[in-house]
Amino acid sequence: MSDVPLIWTSHGNMLVSLLDYRTEWDFQPTYIKLTESYFLGDELVRQSAHVYDKQGITASGQAAQI
Amino acid sequence: MATSFKTELLNGIHAFGTTVVRGATTKDSFKAALYLASATVNASTTAYSATNEVTGTNYTAGGVAVTNATVPTSSGTTSYWTPSASFAWTTVTLATAFDCVLLYNSTQADKAVSVHTFGSTTITAGNFTLTMPTNDSTTGLLRIA
Repeated sequence: MSDVPLIWTSHGNMLVSLLDYRTEWDFQPTYIKLTESYFLGDELVRQSAHVYDKQGITASGQAAQI
Repeated sequence: MATSFKTELLNGIHAFGTTVVRGATTKDSFKAALYLASATVNASTTAYSATNEVTGTNYTAGGVAVTNATVPTSSGTTSYWTPSASFAWTTVTLATAFDCVLLYNSTQADKAVSVHTFGSTTITAGNFTLTMPTNDSTTGLLRIA
């Protein structure tokens, strides 16, 4: 039994140690996005993204004055 | 405007116009679908459509079910509701850029609820998660102020 960490990629399970791991953060007023990428050489073999919606949307209810 | 009325709108209590026949008092089911960055999905969108929805490995047309375990409520004069779990797609490949999610009512003829954008994104043999905001009167996903 091996305890070498593997990760699923577009080429199937691969050794994590063979891949170049990069992250990119995108901070916006309404969301934060983290993109995680794994490269085998120049080839992108896995990419995930995680978005945190900081704020939903508001509808304004207004009743007329009489 | 009564704050209770705002919450009751979220609960489908009032009908000033033609409404639907409800078979029960249970809440509706909602779904979340992803759309391509090239699509026009906005406040004018009236219902879910498969046109310009993302396609790819392990993505099912129509999107994912929305977990709704928290009823609408209010604080101050604002009523709000937020799904009680993230929207998640696992081990998908979505090669064409997408940038928004449409929340829609799958019980009521797939009628649109809201659109939320998050910038151009692609996924390769990976996961996409959309974590919900804090469910309160200032950040909740849907708010009537």
